[in-house]
Amino acid sequence: MFLVGSFFLFAAFLITTCIFVIFSKNPVNSVLFLVLAFLNSTFLFILIGAEFVGIILAIVYIGAVAILFLFVVMMLDIQVTTLMFNIKRYIPLALLFAGIILAEIIYLTVFKTSKDNLDTFIRSKNNTEQIGDVLYTEYFIDFQLSGIVLLLAMIGAIVLTHVYRPTIKRQNIESQNSTTAEDRVKLVKIKSGEGIKDD
Amino acid sequence: MTSLTYNHFFILSLIIFIIGCFGLFLNRRNMILILMCIEIILLAANINFVSASVFLNDINGQVFSIFILTIAAAEAAIGLAILVIYFRNKGEIDITQINQLKD
Repeated sequence: MFLVGSFFLFAAFLITTCIFVIFSKNPVNSVLFLVLAFLNSTFLFILIGAEFVGIILAIVYIGAVAILFLFVVMMLDIQVTTLMFNIKRYIPLALLFAGIILAEIIYLTVFKTSKDNLDTFIRSKNNTEQIGDVLYTEYFIDFQLSGIVLLLAMIGAIVLTHVYRPTIKRQNIESQNSTTAEDRVKLVKIKSGEGIKDD
Repeated sequence: MTSLTYNHFFILSLIIFIIGCFGLFLNRRNMILILMCIEIILLAANINFVSASVFLNDINGQVFSIFILTIAAAEAAIGLAILVIYFRNKGEIDITQINQLKD
């Protein structure tokens, strides 16, 4: 009973914050509601015993992605009033889409019932240990590939936002390596009483 | 209905998916909101994966949700980089004019 009550509390909060994300006029408010939505889904995951994914969701989504959004929103100085959307034009398409998915929900809830519930589980290991068992053995290639995807995203973001300024002085390693001592230093023999002629 | 079943989480993730898609359909101008709607849709997919993994007692779903998280982070980084250069060129983030980027 505690589980069901907490589920409905967090689920209602999650749905409300998701709606506020869409309908907020100020993008900063949208990002903050997005943070709240991620936090609620973290609670839901911990509630059903998936602690590792829940905490990772909090760290990655709230700590990295949402804060990245917040930085961009605050940096860009967007005019709030010009970004209102035109509801009347797109509402038929949206309603059609929602109707199709509502039909799917009704089909799945009325004609199919799931018998599983949380009480029947037998857990020999904790959640993190279970994930670690398969992540580094069975999914090893996928794990490496997701690292490559992150590397590509990082390089792509740097290349896209990099601004080339020709006035900045940079180190030229080729010309540094190809110089010899004769280019830099000249030995001059000085006769006594004449001094140095500069040429 | 006194116990938590998979149907609860399935319906919750469908509702969140619908909200995200609604945002995509209704809002065709603000590019930041479109990226946030994509994040909401990925969150719905994550909820579905994790709850199915828990209720079917199979850990693979949670591993998949970690991969989805990775891809979502990469996608957010690239999307925001494109947004920043678009804003730098145009001075606004109205994406109805984004087809002018190709010339």
